Order: sequence, then C-alpha cells, then structure tokens
Amino acid sequence: MDRRTFVKATCVGSASLFLKDFDLLAQAEVTLPQPPPIEVHGLPQAKPSPLGMPGLFPGRVVEISDPGSIVRNRVSQPVVCRMLEDGMKDLTGESSVRAAWAKFIDPADTVGIKINPSGAPACCSSPEIVREIISGVQSVGVPARNIVIYDRYSYEIDIGSYQALLTPGVRVVGIQDGFVDTSGYDPNVYCDANFFGEWETRSYMASIVAHGVTKIINVPTMKDHSASGVTGCLKNLGYGTFNNVARSHRAPYSFTNPLIGVMCSVEPLRSKAVLHIMDGMRQVWHGGPLTQVQDFIYQAGLLLVGTDPVAMDTIELQLIEKKRREQGAPSVWEHDPKSITPDGHEFYHDATKNLFFRQPGHIAAAGKLGLGIADLKQIDHRQIHAA
Amino acid sequence: MTETAKPTIPESDWSSLLHDNSRTGGQGVRAAHAPDRARWQIRVGSSIRSAPILRNGMLYVTSLAGILQACDVANGRQKWKFQAADQVHSTPSLWGNKVLFGCDDGKVYAVDCDSGTKVWEASSAAEVWTSPVVRNGVVFFGSADAHMYAVEAKTGRARWTQELGGRIYSTAFAAEKQLYVGCGDGKVYSLDISSGKILWSTPTGNGIDSSPAVVANILLIGSEDFFVYAMDVNSGVVRWKYETGLGIASSPAASGDLAFIGSKDGYLYALEIQTGRLRWKAQAGDVVTAPPVIGDGVVCIQAGGTFAFDIATGNVVWKAGLAGAVQSVPVLTGDVIYLASNDGEVYALE
Repeated sequence: MDRRTFVKATCVGSASLFLKDFDLLAQAEVTLPQPPPIEVHGLPQAKPSPLGMPGLFPGRVVEISDPGSIVRNRVSQPVVCRMLEDGMKDLTGESSVRAAWAKFIDPADTVGIKINPSGAPACCSSPEIVREIISGVQSVGVPARNIVIYDRYSYEIDIGSYQALLTPGVRVVGIQDGFVDTSGYDPNVYCDANFFGEWETRSYMASIVAHGVTKIINVPTMKDHSASGVTGCLKNLGYGTFNNVARSHRAPYSFTNPLIGVMCSVEPLRSKAVLHIMDGMRQVWHGGPLTQVQDFIYQAGLLLVGTDPVAMDTIELQLIEKKRREQGAPSVWEHDPKSITPDGHEFYHDATKNLFFRQPGHIAAAGKLGLGIADLKQIDHRQIHAA
Repeated sequence: MTETAKPTIPESDWSSLLHDNSRTGGQGVRAAHAPDRARWQIRVGSSIRSAPILRNGMLYVTSLAGILQACDVANGRQKWKFQAADQVHSTPSLWGNKVLFGCDDGKVYAVDCDSGTKVWEASSAAEVWTSPVVRNGVVFFGSADAHMYAVEAKTGRARWTQELGGRIYSTAFAAEKQLYVGCGDGKVYSLDISSGKILWSTPTGNGIDSSPAVVANILLIGSEDFFVYAMDVNSGVVRWKYETGLGIASSPAASGDLAFIGSKDGYLYALEIQTGRLRWKAQAGDVVTAPPVIGDGVVCIQAGGTFAFDIATGNVVWKAGLAGAVQSVPVLTGDVIYLASNDGEVYALE
C-alpha cells in the first residue's frame, strides 16, 4: 500500500466511523465536533509483516488470573512467571514456553518492550512482568544488549525506577526528556491533523520504533482514560510511539477517536508490534491514566495476552465498565454534560466526574482499520484461573 | 542537635551521597529560612536529575544534556562548562580541587574545579547514575553493569572491581573499613573497602536504588519493596523495618535520633533510628523519590515543589511551588537556598 492509497484508506475508514459516531451522538445530550482528516506518512520502505497487528491470532485473548499475583499491592515474581508461561502456551498452542516465544521472536531480533510508566508509581507496567518478558525473549536467544525497554518520557521511567529493577545488560530508553524535545523522532514519518487550530499539527514517529527495533512487545496497563475511555494496547502503542499527542484532546473534547487507531496503523509500527501483554495486576477504574489515588485502583491480579490489540482492548473495556458499575460510577460512554468538570482535583476524587467526553469508540474504529476484532461475539476470550 | 548528627568523617572525604548523612552537600547543617524572592534564576537547557553541590562560591550542576557547569553564586553566571559524551544523572561530588561525576557513557569524570578541564576518567561497561564517593584518597562508584569500582582519586587508576547481583543505582556509603551499597537484585552489600571482597549481603523484597546512610553502627536504606530497613553494619542483620505505602527510591537523611526518608506514596517519614518507630509523617506531594536534606530545625525535600518541614513535628514551615524534582536536593546555606528542577531551572532563593 503506498502512502496515497493508505491516506485514502484511512479517510474512508474514518468516514465510516463518523457515521457510527453520528449514531451515538444522536443519542447523546451534546453535539460533539467531528474529527478532521488525518494525513499519514508511513516509512516508505517498510514491508508489512504477517506478524503485524492483528498478528498470528486475530480475535484471541487469553486472560490469566491469580489472586496470589498481587498481595498488599506487591506483585509476586514467581506467580506472574507462571501466569505468563500459561498464557503464552495457551495463546500459541505450544507445549513449551520457549517454543511459544519463538513464534514471535528470532534470535537476530532487536526487541523493544514498550512499557507504560505513565501513572507511576501507583499504576504502571510492573517491573516483575517486564523481567519475565525479558527472560522469555532471552530464552529464544536474543542477547540482553538487543533488548530495549522504552517509553516516551524519561522522567516517568525514572520515577518507576525501571533502570534499577531490570535485568543487567538490557537498555532502558526514554525517547524524550521534556515536552518539546523532538530529537528522538523521525521527521519523515508522521500523522498530520489540525484538531484545535494548534501551531504544530504533526505527530512524529519515534526513531527507535521506525529504525531501532525489529519487533515490539507491548506492555500496557489496564486503566480508564479521561479522554479515550480506556487506555490499553492501542493507546499505549500509538500515543507512546508518536509525539505531540496531547493536542488531540482539549477539554471537554477528544479526538482520540480515531487518532489512536490511525497511529497504530502506520508502518512500521503496525508490523513490528507482534505481541501484547496487558498488565492487569492493578486496574485503574477512575482517574486514569495518571491518578495516584489508591481508592480507584483495584488490585485485580490479571494478565491479558494476545496479538490482537483491538480484541484485548475490547475485553479491557468490558472489565473496566464492570468495575465502574460495581462502584456506582457512570459508564465511560456517558456524554452527560453534567459529568464534565474543568477542575482536576474534583475529577481525581469524584468518580462521577470527568474532564472530557470520553471516546472509547476508538477501539472499534481501530478494528475498522483492520487492526483487530472489536465484536465481542467474535472474540475467542479464554480464561485461565488459578486453581 | 545531638552528637550523632555531626559528620564523623574527615573534612577531605566525601563518604556518602551529598557528603554526609544529613545530605548537606558539604555545607554542614545550615539555616533554611522561608525564601522571599529569587536572587537569580538560570536555565541550563535540559532536565536536571541530580542535586547541585556548592563550594567556595561556585555551584556545580550536572544535567541530562551531559553538561557539568560551574556557576558563580553571586549572579548565576556560568564560569565554565564541561561537556561529557552522554547524559548525566549523577549527583557530583567534590574531592580536593576536583568535581567527580558519573555519566551514561559508563565513565566517571574528574574535572578541575578552577578550569573545568578533565583530569582523568575511569570506565565501566554501562551507565553510572550513582554519585562517586571518596574515602582516604579512593573513589568508589557503582555502575549499571552490576559492578562496584574503586579507583585512585588522584589518577583514576583502578584499585579493584567487584561484581554484584544486579544493576547499581545506589550511591555507596564509605566507612573506614567497609563499603555499603544497595543493588538492583534487592540486596544490601557490605564490601571490604580495601579489596572489594563481599563481607555480607542481606536481601530485601525488591530492587534497591536508595542510597544508604550509616549512623551509630546502623545502616539505613529504603527498598522498592516499600520498607525502610535498619541493619547492623557488621553483620547485615535486620534490626527493624518500617513499611511505607509504596516503593522507596529516596535516600535517608539523619539528624539526632531521627532518620528522614521519602516514599513513592508521597510522604516524608521521620523514624527513630534505634527502634524504627514512626515519629511523624507528612505529605510532600503525590510522589517522593528524592532524598531529604537537613537544615537547622527543618528537613527539606523536593517533590512536586519544595517543602520545609519542622524537624520535630512534621508541620510545614514553608513550601514553594517550584523546583519539582526526581532526585534533586536543595543546597542550604545561611542566607540562600539553591534549587535545581526537573525542567532545567536553577534558582537562588533568599
């Protein structure tokens, strides 16, 4: 697919999404602005891979739960080791853990592990899980020096203390330091859209993704999100790869739908992201992604494993919605103007309030771009519970 | 202020992060009046993850851009700068007429205080975020390559190396005969200072990037397992441990019979050194990862802003909504407080 075709496809996809959103908006009490067209410039020489999203197992989501995996807010290394092994074998149908990893990773790969340190220390990708992923990658024969743990903001990685806690020899990389640091991005690979009349309308792809790694293992956390509804595989990948993304939501409006899915579609990100391991040890059901308020963080003790980010985020959305219902909080789909507050303090301490009209429809939108399956009836949701 | 608060090390040594147990940066325990205004403010051009240090009217600041710069405290003007090959997260230390600091290129640099020129460099195989410490003319530093290094302070020539079980982001404490350091493998190690031989190691429940303080034969350190530990310096036996609400990247400062340490749960804790009993705790923001520093009657810490707490009660004496920091520590002098911030600003407040 050349760039022109891709842009066209994106616009067609978006147009069909607009119709869907229009239906939703017709039921809401507010009229939300329509998203502008998004122009996409992928890496010209990138070749699509069959391992790319939705990957080897479209629609398959393996959920592994064990109440012993998190006790008094501490993640158990041996328990998550077993959970991940069980999940990898179930996902792939392989009888050995090494063979399961070898489905996705070659010894010659340079493997990027995309963590989510936003919200550290209260809820971020658990170092214990990242360690197990490193072990799995190493079991295939990838040397530690060819494993890169990365995210956009170095200070968030520092707060999570990942450098000290991870295996010696692996690299830990923060793509940018401050908000205006663009040195870690490829100026030729970008998404261009003017959402609110902003001065800089482009978001550039991180060079480490475009050129530095050959495979990506995505390790999102399980959180609600004030602008996108939830943040899971898709948002961690898209908004953690491109810069200048906060401009997509200006209170109370959010264009995270369709930008998240569009970003995940851009090559070579789409082809390199071969495996997603969602850390559901802690589940933020309100205040995400940055809350530090423990009242809204449920110690769920879950892992989701799959290659289809749309199916995984669909399951995540279901789990977050269930928890919110149990807690008496409104649905993330709610667009009642009375629920919107400009007061950050109120938002962080009142689960009935939000900063934006959330856009959980970004998951289905990504499905329409071919990134995976959003229809619950078509999702092969497998559950493994601790005995 | 009791006897235990005073540094018991020779003036020429720099035996711990920021010189001593009170994290004074070599300034001794000074007053920390509520600041009224900025004397000057400078921007160094990139984030600052380290603490500045001060000597003879010169403030030494490292920044992520890989620059060590010396600033005249009278006006904030740069006297010189030294460009290292990679990012710098290491808090500098001083020995003789040299500024020592670690770099992400795996080296420790010794730079002449007057000219800003390199005197020597010592290499390791991965980034050095720790602060070099000096005892009896030997520099000790840990590296992310999982090794502790000892090199001569005059030349940078290697004395010994010792492999530990994980990455080292904890700045060592150098006592007369033993070196103490936390490690990413979750253990606290004691090494023979002359050979590097491991004398004892004590496990905690998760990795360690906190730096130890040693007071009256008790080693104090935090762990990412949420606990503050007190260990016997000779055996490593745990005397007590105190549970906070989240992991600990902060490092303890000691004054009198109290140790102060921050936790990622957002609180600063005051614990009795002998028993681990909580004297008080006070909220300093959403997350605290930096070490505190002791002033005269106050304990100061940088988190989302800068706070001064009454050392006896934990009540807020003053706070400033600036100088948010990951690992920076105020420099307290009698009249002026110097602050470095995560966003690359350096302030002189009076």
